[in-house]
Amino acid sequence: MDIEELIKLLKEELLVVLGESYGEYKKETKADIEAFLTLSKVKLERWTNLLQSGELTVEDYEWLLVSQKDLLILNALHQAGVSKLRLGHLKNKIIKTIVNTVITVVI
Amino acid sequence: MLRSSLYIAVLTLFLMSCESIKTAVFDQYAYQEAISIKVESLNLMDEAVASYSEHEDDVQTLLLDLQKILEYEKNKPNNEVSFAMWQVVTDKERNLLAGFLERWKVDSQLSNVFIGEAKGQVTQALDLIIKYEANKNKTNETNILNFLSTN
Repeated sequence: MDIEELIKLLKEELLVVLGESYGEYKKETKADIEAFLTLSKVKLERWTNLLQSGELTVEDYEWLLVSQKDLLILNALHQAGVSKLRLGHLKNKIIKTIVNTVITVVI
Repeated sequence: MLRSSLYIAVLTLFLMSCESIKTAVFDQYAYQEAISIKVESLNLMDEAVASYSEHEDDVQTLLLDLQKILEYEKNKPNNEVSFAMWQVVTDKERNLLAGFLERWKVDSQLSNVFIGEAKGQVTQALDLIIKYEANKNKTNETNILNFLSTN
């Protein structure tokens, strides 16, 4: 399988997953996904070499490719969660500012 | 009077909008369990060069531990992301930890090279869960430091 073509397919699937459930965090995670795909490329090349040398069977190779897709999904969840934590932290600061302002102005 | 009502209305609306981004706080038990499961899993995966039947009891013990952590994470409020991550790792239909154990069961034994590569994948998967839990701790620390510095 062509490595570049595989990377493209993985990216498409990941964008679908992000679009379905975590569309609101897509911008924040895009750079991290690009970096993760670069790491995938190294693995895919290694697995392809192991397949060619007979150290991995076709079943092993397919299993690992699917595992990489599952890892990408897991990574997307992680990034979405981290973005959520960051947003939560930001909102906590905003709440504190509003409360302080209300206390100063109103009371 | 009008101004104070306006402030209270804005504050109420803002607090309501925060519901969607609430996240469970750092959980020491969940963090320790994730590390323990990672160590147990990687050690057991090494045994997959041998026949599955020789290690069936160990696999069942690990699967039970996975079932327990999944149930624990599921019932924590505002914990959708951690729960979803554990779901991916413990799903036999996916190719991570539970999927590896399932393949071992089906194929009876696996090659050293494949085990090494699969271990790399499972390590990364469990590290993401561990790092995410640790990140909750960092956020808590930052909140406490901010609170202390402004009070």
